[in-house]
Amino acid sequence: MAPVTPLLETRGISKRFGGLEAVGGVDFRLDRGEVRALIGPNGAGKTTLVGLISGRLRPTAGEVFFAGRNITRLPAWERAVLGIVYTFQVTSVYRRLSVHDNVVLAAQRPRLRAAVDWIALDAEAVAADARTALARVGLADLRDQRAGALAYGHQRVLEVAMALALGPELLILDEPTQGLAGDEIESLCRLIRDIAGTTTVLLIEHNMAVVLELAGRVTVMDRGRIIAEGTPREIEAHPEVQRAYLGR
Amino acid sequence: MRGGDRGRVLGLHLAVVGLLAGLQLLLPPFHHGMLARIMILAAYAVGYNVLLGYTGLMSLGHAMFFAAGMYGTGLTIHHLGFGIGAGFLAGAVAGLAAAGLVGLMTLRTTGPAFLIVTMMLAQAFYLATLYWNDFTGGDQGFILAGLQGELAGVRFALADPAVKYNVALGVFAACLLASLWITRSPLGRVLVAVRENEERTRLLGYNTHRYRLIAVLLSGLVAGVAGAAYTLLFSYVGSTFAGILYSIYPLLWTLLGGAGTVLGPLVGTLVMTYVVDITSGFTTGYLLVVGVALVVMILWAPAGIVGGIRARWAPWLP
Repeated sequence: MAPVTPLLETRGISKRFGGLEAVGGVDFRLDRGEVRALIGPNGAGKTTLVGLISGRLRPTAGEVFFAGRNITRLPAWERAVLGIVYTFQVTSVYRRLSVHDNVVLAAQRPRLRAAVDWIALDAEAVAADARTALARVGLADLRDQRAGALAYGHQRVLEVAMALALGPELLILDEPTQGLAGDEIESLCRLIRDIAGTTTVLLIEHNMAVVLELAGRVTVMDRGRIIAEGTPREIEAHPEVQRAYLGR
Repeated sequence: MRGGDRGRVLGLHLAVVGLLAGLQLLLPPFHHGMLARIMILAAYAVGYNVLLGYTGLMSLGHAMFFAAGMYGTGLTIHHLGFGIGAGFLAGAVAGLAAAGLVGLMTLRTTGPAFLIVTMMLAQAFYLATLYWNDFTGGDQGFILAGLQGELAGVRFALADPAVKYNVALGVFAACLLASLWITRSPLGRVLVAVRENEERTRLLGYNTHRYRLIAVLLSGLVAGVAGAAYTLLFSYVGSTFAGILYSIYPLLWTLLGGAGTVLGPLVGTLVMTYVVDITSGFTTGYLLVVGVALVVMILWAPAGIVGGIRARWAPWLP
């Protein structure tokens, strides 16, 4: 079988913060259409790795490829335009703007390609895209609320709605279920499964039940390195993973 | 934004322009002249507000843009014999060029760093206007006597009160409506997003450095236009207008009226100019009033007059 170009690939990517090597020489591959979970203990380097992928951080060494293109030197905003969309671990919505205006900011971006778009933007189409994204995450009724006044769980799905409105190729969710209640986790899982039909998903997650339910494959990190990769069942049985992560 | 709100907002702003147009028929000569001056200064504040109110960047160097507009117009007319149209254009371009220079040099600064760098650059500009006083007239300045315009074959003096008032009104209305349009455009939305959460905005795919530069350019262009118009209407150019006081004024007017509201700069300029005018009749320490007002606004009423009205009664105000 001919090798397929992965959607995302890092080659020997490293990040040092002073004397600490947060990520050390990681080779990571993600194929189009996957739902991949990235797990590991606190401080394993998961958020640093996705920071290097989304462009929030600059690597100390190594390279990042997206759809075959070397994007190591691209700034975060350009990667977002290419379709690498990151949702924040700590919710980072525009608190003083309405829910609808939050999503409109994302929804207008893919339609602003040329200078003329700034003047002749189809406002109705942007609003329709925003409504679609809000309906998809179940926030349609709250569109006129101030985002900062939303319940925490709603702010988390608002983040997801903003990500969806950008039309992502690769959606990176950084601990999306953190701080959510049981039924909220369930509906978020349903939403992620729905998104996964059209988008590649990279999911940092601590909740193993969520990982087992959603992920096709799991990558385990510890101390800045990938220590295992496989299906959820394989990972559960992996002795090194049990020692490093599951604490058995 | 609902369709009804859109009509209401545009109606309100056109009504304000209409009111200003109507007032010239009622006002006694002193206030007639005063309001003409206020409208030009309010246009300057409208430009300042694009940066402070909508992009969240506080500049203490806007006098440089206003004075660049002034000198751009005054020097080209005085030394090069430009007509008023070409002179006005030269002023606008000078304001834009000064903003481009400052914008590129401050690209990576925000908050206090932006404030300090803009202040230092404006002080350097101010000192330059004094240093080359053979050319600029320094703090004495120079007078442009007998400026005349021509429209459809009719010659008119710019110093004529009715001409002065209506040109000022035209400049102010253009700046106000442009500012209204920008704030409600996709661009204005991004500027607000940069103000609210720059990191988030970058990860939505916006090059936030570029948007900050655009905001500085727009703000400087409007300040330059206001400076150019001031020169033409009041026939005077002088380095006073490049000094720190003229950087503090638009900050004060904008805060008083309401940063991040379209009508705030007009309301703030109107109130403050009259307050200064009235108090300077009683005391030479009117600058103390300016300083106290600035401190009071920042400490107790950061939303300003129009911002307060919006918070209490009219959430639809842009």
